[in-house]
Amino acid sequence: MKRRNFVKLGGASVLAVVGGFTLPSFIAQQKRHITILHTNDTHSHIEPFKENDSRNPNRGGVARRATLIEQIRQENKNTLLLDAGDIFQGTPYFNYFGGELEFKLMSLLKYDVATIGNHDFDNSIECLYTQLPNAKFDFVSANYDFKNTVLDTHIKPYKIMIKDDIKIGIFGLGIELEGLVSKNMYKETGYLNPVEITQDITHQLKNVEKCDLIICLSHLGYNYKRNPNKISDLSLAKITKNIDLIIGGHTHTFLPKPTIVKNIDGKNTLVNQVGAYGLNLGRIDFYFDEQNNKTSKGTTILV
Amino acid sequence: MKQIHFICLLLLFASCKNTEKSVTKITAKNIVIDSTIVASSKIENFIAPYKEKLIGEMESVLTYTANDLTKENIGLQSTLGNLMADLCVDIANPMFKEKTNASIDFALFNSGGLRASIDAGNVTTENAFKLMPFDNELVVVELTSAKVVALIKYFIDKQSAHPLSENINLLIKDDCFDLKINGEKFNKNKTYNVLTSDYLQTGGDGMDFFKNPKKLTNLNYKVRDAVIGYFKKTDTLRVSIDNRVKIQ
Repeated sequence: MKRRNFVKLGGASVLAVVGGFTLPSFIAQQKRHITILHTNDTHSHIEPFKENDSRNPNRGGVARRATLIEQIRQENKNTLLLDAGDIFQGTPYFNYFGGELEFKLMSLLKYDVATIGNHDFDNSIECLYTQLPNAKFDFVSANYDFKNTVLDTHIKPYKIMIKDDIKIGIFGLGIELEGLVSKNMYKETGYLNPVEITQDITHQLKNVEKCDLIICLSHLGYNYKRNPNKISDLSLAKITKNIDLIIGGHTHTFLPKPTIVKNIDGKNTLVNQVGAYGLNLGRIDFYFDEQNNKTSKGTTILV
Repeated sequence: MKQIHFICLLLLFASCKNTEKSVTKITAKNIVIDSTIVASSKIENFIAPYKEKLIGEMESVLTYTANDLTKENIGLQSTLGNLMADLCVDIANPMFKEKTNASIDFALFNSGGLRASIDAGNVTTENAFKLMPFDNELVVVELTSAKVVALIKYFIDKQSAHPLSENINLLIKDDCFDLKINGEKFNKNKTYNVLTSDYLQTGGDGMDFFKNPKKLTNLNYKVRDAVIGYFKKTDTLRVSIDNRVKIQ
């Protein structure tokens, strides 16, 4: 804080001095653009819904999602593709192939990071473990404690990715499994308080790793109106800080656009979720300016 | 003065290394995936062999029925409902006995949970998936006699052919009923073990009498797996409308 103030104070004289030198390129403002694409609760929906489906006729389909993602990647190569869990369970593809096809397709679509939903334990934690080699992307989960399970060391709390020199920290949160999944499926998976874990991880990502962008992949659920004490994406966003974006799942909430929540510091956190079954793809574009005086300009959010 | 300028310049260089990259604009949209997007042939080709195998599995014949099995409400019974309730008891009772040494007294499910009829002819794996697309699991609740009365009142009140197993003989006369369970007169001093699904046990379809039972046993076995298991071991399905519910 002290250092930044000093730089700011010295700014005028600095400009006067460097005027005579060849300006290093970084002095010019660099504009950078990161695109975040995301899904949640795809639930083994590989093919589009049938044309005569009563709810979602001819919607969804992984092969169409692939085309859309490819188009967006051609627009902006600095694109990340993320998933907020419940990849498994929902069609016979899961019952017959145990999640193999889901993971292989996500690998072909070049997913970068996913978190684990409650249904991803449906065939037991061992089956999830045996499917992991089919996933050429990483899973993150910060509040499931896997140390006494086969997943120990295979799931990291967060992952850091650098795109166009922007450092992006992505961490995962899962819902409490007790009561949702049979204990003999999730075995000795421990559940840690998601709020406390978020406080630790965001401190780590912001202040130690110095991330420019912090994303939470959450399977906590969007909001529980009837049970306001149950932790959800909206309540998590309110009582924490330094999260730019929460990509949610579990509640199959079809948001027309992201919800903007004021966090504990009064700053904006976006919460988004795209329902379920691969019917939609979420897209959020972050535009960065490189500047020394961060507070001089606000962020324009167009949603 | 010169010295100060020099320091400032150094600081500028130093700060460049960790320049703050601040977000100035965010745009967002949730994009609908529909038939206006051309499917990637690469991905479709990758799915194809799995799809073929799945179609093969789904078409595999498990059993046979001479008649259509439907949810049609025939005096608070249905052919499909009777089949479902009875086959679940058939499959679940040995599991429950092994876990608890006790027997299931009867089963109740909801007619809304039966998602598709089965046409006369060969019965395939696909029929089982369409009948029961949900992943509900079988549970057994030990109910007090008062809750069994609440259950029967719910059943009569709803006028739906909610699947009840053949263990029940229910005679409905106007506002009264006479109940036998496994051939014995309903006993107010007894508790009863009732088979249902975890969905209904947790209050699905308003079946509140299943909540907070004296004892809850989760069999950790999907209703659909019970259907498939029963179909596999049964050559021909024999289903009828019988005396489990009689309306006078």
